[in-house]
Amino acid sequence: MEKPSTLLVHFDKGSAAMASEIKADLEGSDVAAKVDAMKRAVMLLLNGETLPQLFITVVRYVLPSEDHTVQKLLLLYLEIIDKRDAAGRVLPEMILICQNLRNNLQHPNEYIRGVTLRFLCRLSEPEVLEPLVPSILENLEHRHHFIRRHALSAISAIYRLPHGDQLIPDAPELVERALASEQDASARRNAFAMLCACAQERAVAYLLSNADRVAEWPDLLQMAAVDLIRKVCRSTNRADKGRYIKIIISLLSSTSTAVVYECAGALVSLSSAPTAVRAAANTYCELLSSQSDNNVKLIVLDRLNELRTSHRDVMVDVVMDVLRSLTSPNLDVKKKVLDLVLDLLTPRNVEEVVLYLKKEVVKTQAGELEKGGEYRQMLVQAIHACAVEYPEVAGSVVHLLMDFLGDTNVASAVDVVLFVREIIETNPKLRVSMIQRLIDTFYQIRASRVCSCALWILGEYSLSLSEVESAISTIKQCLGDLPFYTVSEEGEATDSAKPTQQVVNSVTMSSRRPVVLADGTYATQSAATEAISTPSVALGSSLSTLNLRSLILSGDFFLAAVIACTLTKLVSRLDEVQPSKVEANKACTGALLIMTSMLQLGQSSYLPHPIDNDSYDRIVLCVRLLCNTGDDVRKIWLQSCRQSFAKMLAEKQFWETEEMKAKAQVSHAQPDDLIDFYHLKSRRGMSQLELEDEVQDDLKAATGGFTKDADDANRLNRILQLTGFSDPVYAEAYVTVHHYDIVLDVTVINRTKETLQNLCLELATMGDLKLVDRPQNYTLAPESSKQMHANIKVSSTETGVIFGNIVYETSNVMERSVIVLNDIHIDIMDYISPATCADVAFRNMWAEFEWENKVAVNTVIQNEKEFLDHIIKSTNMKCLTPPSALDGECGFLAANLYAKSVFGEDALVNISIEKQFDGKLSGYIRIRSKTQGIALSLGDKITLKQKGGS
Amino acid sequence: MVVLAASIISKSGKALVSRQFVDMSRIRIEGLLAAFPKLVGTGKQHTYVKTENVRYVYQPIEGLYLLLITNKQSNILEDLDTLRLLSKLVPEYSPSLDEEGVCKTAFKLIFAFDEAISLGNKENVTVQQVKQYCEMESHEEKAHKLMMQSKINETKDVMKKKASELDKMRMERGKLDKGGYSSISGPRVIEKAFNDMSITGTGFGSGSGLGGLSTDMDSFSSKPKGASNFSEGRPSAPATAPGKGLGMKLGKTQKTNQFLESLKAEGEVILEDVQPSSVQSRVSPLPPSDPITVTIEEKLNVLVKRDGGVNNFDVQGTLALQILNDADGFIQLQIEDQDVPGLSFKTHPNINKDLFNSQQVVGAKDPNRPFPSGQNETPLVKWRIQGMDESSLPLSVNCWPSVSGSETYVNIEYEAAEMFDLHNVVISIPLPALRDAPSVRQIDGEWKYDSRNSVLEWSIILIDQSNRSGSMEFVVPPADPSTFFPISIGFSASSTFSDLKVTGIRPLKDGNPPKYSQRARLVTANYQVV
Repeated sequence: MEKPSTLLVHFDKGSAAMASEIKADLEGSDVAAKVDAMKRAVMLLLNGETLPQLFITVVRYVLPSEDHTVQKLLLLYLEIIDKRDAAGRVLPEMILICQNLRNNLQHPNEYIRGVTLRFLCRLSEPEVLEPLVPSILENLEHRHHFIRRHALSAISAIYRLPHGDQLIPDAPELVERALASEQDASARRNAFAMLCACAQERAVAYLLSNADRVAEWPDLLQMAAVDLIRKVCRSTNRADKGRYIKIIISLLSSTSTAVVYECAGALVSLSSAPTAVRAAANTYCELLSSQSDNNVKLIVLDRLNELRTSHRDVMVDVVMDVLRSLTSPNLDVKKKVLDLVLDLLTPRNVEEVVLYLKKEVVKTQAGELEKGGEYRQMLVQAIHACAVEYPEVAGSVVHLLMDFLGDTNVASAVDVVLFVREIIETNPKLRVSMIQRLIDTFYQIRASRVCSCALWILGEYSLSLSEVESAISTIKQCLGDLPFYTVSEEGEATDSAKPTQQVVNSVTMSSRRPVVLADGTYATQSAATEAISTPSVALGSSLSTLNLRSLILSGDFFLAAVIACTLTKLVSRLDEVQPSKVEANKACTGALLIMTSMLQLGQSSYLPHPIDNDSYDRIVLCVRLLCNTGDDVRKIWLQSCRQSFAKMLAEKQFWETEEMKAKAQVSHAQPDDLIDFYHLKSRRGMSQLELEDEVQDDLKAATGGFTKDADDANRLNRILQLTGFSDPVYAEAYVTVHHYDIVLDVTVINRTKETLQNLCLELATMGDLKLVDRPQNYTLAPESSKQMHANIKVSSTETGVIFGNIVYETSNVMERSVIVLNDIHIDIMDYISPATCADVAFRNMWAEFEWENKVAVNTVIQNEKEFLDHIIKSTNMKCLTPPSALDGECGFLAANLYAKSVFGEDALVNISIEKQFDGKLSGYIRIRSKTQGIALSLGDKITLKQKGGS
Repeated sequence: MVVLAASIISKSGKALVSRQFVDMSRIRIEGLLAAFPKLVGTGKQHTYVKTENVRYVYQPIEGLYLLLITNKQSNILEDLDTLRLLSKLVPEYSPSLDEEGVCKTAFKLIFAFDEAISLGNKENVTVQQVKQYCEMESHEEKAHKLMMQSKINETKDVMKKKASELDKMRMERGKLDKGGYSSISGPRVIEKAFNDMSITGTGFGSGSGLGGLSTDMDSFSSKPKGASNFSEGRPSAPATAPGKGLGMKLGKTQKTNQFLESLKAEGEVILEDVQPSSVQSRVSPLPPSDPITVTIEEKLNVLVKRDGGVNNFDVQGTLALQILNDADGFIQLQIEDQDVPGLSFKTHPNINKDLFNSQQVVGAKDPNRPFPSGQNETPLVKWRIQGMDESSLPLSVNCWPSVSGSETYVNIEYEAAEMFDLHNVVISIPLPALRDAPSVRQIDGEWKYDSRNSVLEWSIILIDQSNRSGSMEFVVPPADPSTFFPISIGFSASSTFSDLKVTGIRPLKDGNPPKYSQRARLVTANYQVV
């Protein structure tokens, strides 16, 4: 184990002070200079100097100082100096400080005594502590609480040292006595905590004898009591668990919320009885509503989530209480609440939940709320999820939601329309009313994406004569009078001058950045979709009913193609349901007129961009179809679309259930698990030892006490040879990469027959690496070897290089000899790990990140799929594009990869490749990240590895 | 619920100040701190970040982050409280909240952090308290320093006097011996020894100074031949004192023992342990012979001003029960007390309060639970009497120091109230450091001078009707009247203020009322005239 570090102070190398200056200042009698010198000494020590010569000066000139600041700094100094030699023995000179410490412990100033006692808590050398024990014990009875507090913690710390029970054999009795007579809250806590740690049975006795009064204890002590109860109940005697639970229950009404929170946690770990869990859940809910701090809310929600995984049945009852905290203005909180609630739906409570959500949606309509749009989107998604799981509730909400189709927040409108699309397919009963509603609200829709989806719904689900007719008329209405554009009309030209401008704006804005489509295709958008919705709204209310027209006039020909398809579908259906041929033909001609006008507009010079080929082809296809209908074509248009949509929904459902199954499988018992017998004690909630370990592990993990023993074979793979075999000094290192640090274990062997003096391993780094320790000098006997450690701190994901040399002196050569070492390259792959993120998030990041590295594909691999796998393997990333989208042979492939570094940085990669005629792959790999480091290093890595073939 | 570290870092991740409260390696903490700015998202409305192993709770302060690193199980409510406190402390100690300012005040911040978080646990302190703790203004230290100063001054006076005496003597002896050698360095050596002593000799005071003096004197007086007449008046001074070394060394050598021996021989009271603490060894009561013993004890805490008036007058009483055999545990006590104003009772939680309040019967709440038995006394009822006035004081002491010429006459008289007969009365009067015992001119009772602590103890075995008042007069060299204070008084009496008595013991189970004995006494815990 490394030496623990107790404090850090930023040290500016510029103002480095020499040890001699410090010494001079320390020897002087000027207190201010002394203080300053002590500070500098501490800083130098922290910076890795050892300053052994300073110790005696400190003992002679600083120990007797009466100044309080000097004394306190002295304690810091003593805290960080090396008190042991290389072999782990206490340095003999340390005994010199004992007298001073003892004087301090008898100092008339109570604060000096206190801080000295506190310092002793951090001291682990029994040789130094032993002579001080009587003085420490004396302080237990001092009348000042500041001293008693620290005396108690000092005793506790000493007693817990290895062999500490020999230093103060009667510590538990003393502390127990002190506890009984103590009044100060903090001192009592310290005493109680000491008993908990060192003499649990005494602590338990004290707790139980005071069980009635625990509720009146100060909160610090209550916390310690809860801690003790947890500990006790985890270990052995469960027979009297009831008594502890009683105490916990009484503490639940404590005035301190911290205690209440702790109690709830303890209660769950004590018992898995529904009553206890319910009490805990209720407590959490109360905290949730009473605490205004977002941090608390979020963490309490985490706790509730944990409860949900283990005691879902109980949590179902509190779902409405949880929902109530949606009142918090914070979106993160709301999101968590919704997630939690969605996991707790049952047929019984779903109605109630949806009702509440509905009310919330109505509230967002009122406006006032900040970020109402985003919140509404979340709500819509939540309701969507409810309706998918419990289709019977859909009817009650879908109409309300359809009001939001015209929402200015495009994302939430899209969510609504997708929801409508799904419900209309899965809930045939609602179809008629929904179509009616959609036709009524269609004119409000502003966004192109929403429009096209709504049009698709109209085209697919308008079945009866009246529905089809009103759908056609609505579309016509929204398109306005034909033609869209005539050269002669002066008024219209001026009227549409405005949109032109805006289109130019929006197009330039959107085409500035290429986007990655959902399937991983990397495309430059020719026409903006979302951005346009804003100008179209800005066009003013005169055009409010002509939403389709304004969108088309702004150059959205994709929408035009959708309109054409919808009209084609509607007209073909009209053919079937309309008894009068005349009417049907009339509608058909009307549709044809619209389509031709759109084509005309597309080819005119009125818009800056002419119609794109895809849309053109589609509209022309529609025109042809209407002119020349046939049964098989009609079948495709009227049935196959819907079938494939139904198939898509089914597949989605299938994947979801698969996922659920996979999840459920995980929680099943392992073959070698213990079996619970119902009549015997249940293991759940009482697997004390495991829980205990968990808490311990938690702390250990936090302090970095965990050293996972990597298997040796793996370790040996990473050995790097640093110098040649014929060099006078042979060195090799193995590199261990932890989270934030790299440890180099260097073995140095003296190959000569001479003693090498002042041998020093000097390292330098490039990139975001920093050396932690200063190198030490060693003397190496002939043909002996030495192990050295070097710690290097890493602060970001970047390929780093460590280079250095070994410097030594020999007795007969005056000059220092230098051996240059091989460079050590630190691989970026050690820092990134595969991760997943949502499609939307990926795209947002892609748009946001500044650094892009574009690597041209150059490989011997012939197969697109194989190449992708190769890249995934060599970069340690995860493919976000679903495998179904990568299926099939089509000669090209596009995929998105994603990974996260341990420092929380995102790495995005997009691969777009195409198979050439000669069988070679060509294309680009684009890497984007927030920082340059990742983009560059990952690019280098890919360039290096992409060749493949092996 | 542990805070691993409290730190201040810049937005770029430079760790400016960090205080760790649990053992963790340097590389670990630096790594955690460096990772933090990358983890902090923007635009979030909460201020904590969770990672795989730790949780950061933070607060931006201008261009910096103040953050706590905790484990993931940590109690967020407590941590937020702590963070709030720290965020108030930081501007207190670091006036300019930028990197430079914080670096400059790094140590002050560390000290303040230490006060707010003790070893990772939250402390319930306010900003004011932390400030007070960090200022370290101690009243006691000032008092101590003043005392030391006055002691040094006194010692110097004595030394001067002594030196002049020595000079005189030497002159006389020089006349006799015709001065064959020069001993001018003598007094200077002594002075040096004195200085050393008055600075280092905390536990010894002036008494040891005297001792040291004599040893030194001996050591150089053994040089001249036939100087044995020098040690006149100190017949027990060791004639075999080692002759080498002029300074006095305190070490674990033979010499120390001799030194102590010599001090003893000179009438010093040498305690084997060096601590001059006046631990009152409590007289343990005789082991009870009756199966049930009731002890009623009242302790007096009195602080009387020397000019009359009471600063503090407080009586604390206990009724304790000792039962030898388990079988006798099922009992109830009937008690009776005088109705004294200001008397308030407190009962042990296991005592039935209603029964006590209504019938003045002490019995257990749970009738099936006996009173504990064994050698220990179990306190059952406690009471306090407050707000009594001067007239109820059992003993009042007046001290009249008056300076006349080169002497101070001190007259002391006591007056005891009629209520009590007081036993073993001891009145201790602090005196200025003296070489000799004060001369007592007149006394009712006995006196003893404790030269180590320079306290004159006036003891009267019994104060009853025959001697309700008494006086004493003694003479000391001139001294400030305030040196004779605080006078502390100790006594005991067999009746109490509350006059609480156990009038009977009823067994709860069948059987005869058990035999019992009861003892009542009034003792002084702290009775001082200041």
